Amino acid sequence: MTDKKISVTRRGALALAGAALGSGAVTGFPTIWAQNIRNITLRQLGTGVSGLNPIAEQVKKDLGFTLQLTVTDTDAVAQRAATQSRSFDIADIEYFSIKKVYPTGVMQPIDTTKIKLADKIVPIFTTGKLTPQSAVAQGTSPYSVGFVENATAKTFATQRTPLMTLLPTIYNADTLGIRPDLVGRPITHWKDLLDPAFKGRASILNIPGIGIMDAAMVAESAGLVKYADKGNMTRAEIDKTVAFLIEAKRAGQFRAFWKTFDESVNLMASGEVVIQSMWSPAVAAVRSRGIACTYQPLAEGYRAWGSGLGLMRHLSGLQLDAAYEYLNWYLSGWAGAFLNRQGYYSAVLETAKAQMTENEWGYWMEGKPAASDIIAPDGKVMEKTGAVRDGGSFQERMGRVVCWNSVMGEDRYMVQKWNEFIAA
Amino acid sequence: MTRLFPWIQTAPLALVLAVFLLVPVGMLVVVSFYDYDAFSLIPAFVLTNYQELFTSPVTWQTYLKTIYFAGITWAVTLGIGFWIAYHLAFVVQNATLRMVLFILCTVPFWTSNLIRMIAWVPFLGRNGILNSTLIGMGAIEQPLEFLLFSDFSVILAFVHLYTLFMVVPIFNTMMRIDRRLLEAARDAGAGFWQTLWCVILPLTKPGIGIGSIFVVVLVMGDFATVRLMSGGQSASVGLMISNQYGAMQYPAAAANAVGLLLMVLLVVAAMLRIVDIRREL
Amino acid sequence: MPGRVARLLLGALFGAFMLFLYGPTLTITILSFQGPDGGLTFPMNGVSLHWFGRLFQPQAVGDLGAAMTRTLLLAAMVTATTVVVSLAAGMAFRRRFAGSTVLFYLTVASLIVPSLLVSLGIGLMFNLMEWEPAWYSSAFGAQLTWTLPFGLLIMFAVFNRFDRSWEEAARDMGATPWQSFWHVVLPIIAPSVVGIALFGFTLSFDEFARTLLTAGSGNTLPLEILGMTTTVTTPVLYALGTVSTAVSFLVIGGALIGMRLMRKRRGI
Repeated sequence: MTDKKISVTRRGALALAGAALGSGAVTGFPTIWAQNIRNITLRQLGTGVSGLNPIAEQVKKDLGFTLQLTVTDTDAVAQRAATQSRSFDIADIEYFSIKKVYPTGVMQPIDTTKIKLADKIVPIFTTGKLTPQSAVAQGTSPYSVGFVENATAKTFATQRTPLMTLLPTIYNADTLGIRPDLVGRPITHWKDLLDPAFKGRASILNIPGIGIMDAAMVAESAGLVKYADKGNMTRAEIDKTVAFLIEAKRAGQFRAFWKTFDESVNLMASGEVVIQSMWSPAVAAVRSRGIACTYQPLAEGYRAWGSGLGLMRHLSGLQLDAAYEYLNWYLSGWAGAFLNRQGYYSAVLETAKAQMTENEWGYWMEGKPAASDIIAPDGKVMEKTGAVRDGGSFQERMGRVVCWNSVMGEDRYMVQKWNEFIAA
Repeated sequence: MTRLFPWIQTAPLALVLAVFLLVPVGMLVVVSFYDYDAFSLIPAFVLTNYQELFTSPVTWQTYLKTIYFAGITWAVTLGIGFWIAYHLAFVVQNATLRMVLFILCTVPFWTSNLIRMIAWVPFLGRNGILNSTLIGMGAIEQPLEFLLFSDFSVILAFVHLYTLFMVVPIFNTMMRIDRRLLEAARDAGAGFWQTLWCVILPLTKPGIGIGSIFVVVLVMGDFATVRLMSGGQSASVGLMISNQYGAMQYPAAAANAVGLLLMVLLVVAAMLRIVDIRREL
Repeated sequence: MPGRVARLLLGALFGAFMLFLYGPTLTITILSFQGPDGGLTFPMNGVSLHWFGRLFQPQAVGDLGAAMTRTLLLAAMVTATTVVVSLAAGMAFRRRFAGSTVLFYLTVASLIVPSLLVSLGIGLMFNLMEWEPAWYSSAFGAQLTWTLPFGLLIMFAVFNRFDRSWEEAARDMGATPWQSFWHVVLPIIAPSVVGIALFGFTLSFDEFARTLLTAGSGNTLPLEILGMTTTVTTPVLYALGTVSTAVSFLVIGGALIGMRLMRKRRGI
């Protein structure tokens, strides 16, 4: 029974490793059980936003085990995590999706006592506020679905607990992208999306949980609807929001609705659309083709999103320990710097800063003009010397978040109405 | 032993269909009666999913739109497909050439459909090949906007995808027509149109029937083409189901699926009344 | 026979149809030669072979090589199963047997139940049964519900035209059923069997809806491409399209030349 023997030694090693982790003695990777862990494969499900091969390569290099990435679109991540959970070990999933996925019981909470840098995580995720003074933004904020009371709980805790649903990894503040060469006037408010001047040249995204929030930002900005809480609309508010969307659609305001990142890039780059909801790296992708594109900060503020890594329920033993190793690694700097360089934000800032040059940090995080060219991960020049990031520094951008992508109490009704809008 | 033989031969087929068709569809029907909240399925027997579905005017609108797409696509693919099949069967005489032409028609389909869909944007878009060519020729001054992200582009993509499903069965029946019949018709003084109407068309009816079933079923069940080619501006029942599924509202999706299934079965049953495909193949 | 004008018109229609079929392919081919800074849409940003080089390097997102391998394996499994199962069933269906009508209508139903519903149903089934979906189990089954009816319909078309006297002759000469199948029936219907294989392969290779909800952790190529569109995609996708078109042409050209040579050797 060699199997048994191995498992015994494994368990011994695990105990050691656990003790080491608990005492905080482990500083570098890989750890003592490096030999066993080499044969481990962790299967991760996520979108292409962060399901990046260079990350898997670095994991192999630093931790020794294999991270197998499966990428698909936002909706499909939630579906597959909930319905095919046995096919994956780790879900890289958005906070608004976790609100639906976690209660299905396919995931296990993350024990933050095993996460060394848990206390260094940006407070947005742990207290809901960027600074003690700021207000908690509306919608499904990561804080509101970030914790559970115990390992079997299916409802979220109302305050911080030692058990996290997701380990935050990546987030950003979203706004409208524009083609400054084609819009022909300054864009200052969300309501400008509905300007008749852009008839047939505007777009919003067609993922209900995100699109409804963009629509709400526009409706509120235009003074059409007044929300008590955009992130948790009443039926009447949903009706009004969708009614105004349908009206704009019938009037021919929208050229298309996009669902994947790539579509938004193509719409903008081809000139089909001049103003639309967009994601930061999509703007960068348009710009990298020599086409002017601005990620326009707007008076009302930003809509934010966040993703994190969650552990599937079936993970145990050595695999679970490898997963914790991976989570710790994610916060340890390399991954954070890698994501920051693409215009996203990392959950722990200091470790990422240590991995970035002063120029990079200044441009991406502090809103300073680039002292020298900003280079993309693939080696291409992304921004020339002197460029300033749209929207400015981390504080300016994340500090002006007014709502998060949401799953509302009236979700079932909202999706129905959203379908009505698409079918109208 | 010989009496058991057909059963042994068809057992694998029956097994696959039972496990991967009957059970899953049965499951859909069961789940369509389940209740659900934002997070989970609640086994129950409720009719709310159907009530919500069929009391919403959007549902009816979407079903009509789906039938509209299917109808137009059917008419266009039949119009084009018939003549393409005719050309291959009666005009092209060389068997090798015929095969080469057939294969040439299938080559575009070996490139992933998603890539081809992406490529429609630079083909039909404002600055796309078609518009630039037309402007270059002086045929138009402003780019034609309706070419992309419209019902037109959806149907265009359907025709592009599914015409061959019409061509193949029609071609198949045309090849089975005894050429002596055509000669006899000509000898009897029938002209081109008369031969077509009185001899070829009746004999190709089964092929047309089978092709029509393919096209109509494929269009009715589609969701990706409608979403990508209409730029998300249009809906079909399939798209509605995939949206509901995407929002993890499985019972609603299942109820909608049962509705779609019934609609498809009704349409196909009507078509089968016109052609008995088993006898006519 | 149609007259001269009609033939010309038909030829022109066929040409136009081919042009239409190749429209996207043409766009893909042109855009795959985008410059290194180019995107998936016009305008062209220089001309280069850059993206063909990048096709064979690891991508930032997704693994085309692994997805392609999986897709080819799955397509091979589906093709082989489709040929064997539909051939066997086709043989049986030449006579009526108890349950043949039910099975026939079940097969037709399999053809007309929309792909998305099959996918949804199998996904739900695996979920409720707590089985792990994978491309070689659930997705394999999902694709078979589509390729088997096709295969069987082709078999019907073949056997409806099959001259039974060949088989009877073989039996009269004392051949066992297996011998008469192997030495008489199979050689005659071989071209159609190749047809079923080609059909099965093509249908499986680009299947999207049926694998979408059944593939488990291993994406097939179409799903991987969908995944890649969730982040910055590059003309690498077009380069892939151009390469697959070129390979198709090479294979077809090779097959045609091969057939020519075979015929010459046989002296036909």
